[in-house]
Amino acid sequence: MNEKEFGQKLRPWLQRSADQVGELQATRLRASRLKAMENWREPVSLLGLVQVSGGTVQALRYTYLQRALLVLPVAALLAALALQSVTSDGDFGDLDAALLTQELPPDAYLDQDFRSWLHKSTRG
Amino acid sequence: MAAQVHARLIAAAFALLLPLLAGAQGRDLKTPQTPWSNLPVEEQRILAPLSGEWDRMPGYQQKRLQSTARKYPGMQPIQRERFEERITDWATMSPNQRKEARETFQGLQKLPPDKQHELRERWLKKREATQPPPGNPPAAPPR
Repeated sequence: MNEKEFGQKLRPWLQRSADQVGELQATRLRASRLKAMENWREPVSLLGLVQVSGGTVQALRYTYLQRALLVLPVAALLAALALQSVTSDGDFGDLDAALLTQELPPDAYLDQDFRSWLHKSTRG
Repeated sequence: MAAQVHARLIAAAFALLLPLLAGAQGRDLKTPQTPWSNLPVEEQRILAPLSGEWDRMPGYQQKRLQSTARKYPGMQPIQRERFEERITDWATMSPNQRKEARETFQGLQKLPPDKQHELRERWLKKREATQPPPGNPPAAPPR
């Protein structure tokens, strides 16, 4: 007996039971059915080997996406810090060399007036 | 349940992050010193004005000065002249002063070139007004 024949045989029994269901139970059953229909997704073939419910695949993907979004900024921060720790001496070398060889002497950058002008220019 | 997992992930990330941040601070203090005699000859020549104080400098400062000195061969003549004039004062500044100078310098670099020029000119004029030009000492008081 295949799935269709089984369904047809079962149908009158279910119909008879359905007639005896009260209004409240019928409403609950309808709501559950609608919810189940909403959640149903076409089965998806994984690597052509296994058929998996589309809902399961979607839930898995969603979870991974959520996790990735959560972890990504922290991972980026960690990577930036690690990179900084590796290259900080080199960076200071470039920066200090630039600072020492520009037109202004280093004490200009400690001058309160200069810093205040810079602050105003940055805001303006 | 998912929220708990996320909270744990964030806590774990911060637990990893904090020692890293602390390590950056500690790394400065742990940098070993390099004796003057161990410097390559070329670096000794460039950093010659600092030879007297070199062995008293903390290791991290020595490393940064070495790193700065490595840029010297690629500098223009005017840049080399400025470097030689300024390196001693730079090395005698406190770490905080150097940090502040770097921050201000980086702030200046972020401005458009015309603004940078304007601020440089303004400071040079201020210095001219407050200091006698080099080589022209103030006139001796009349007898």
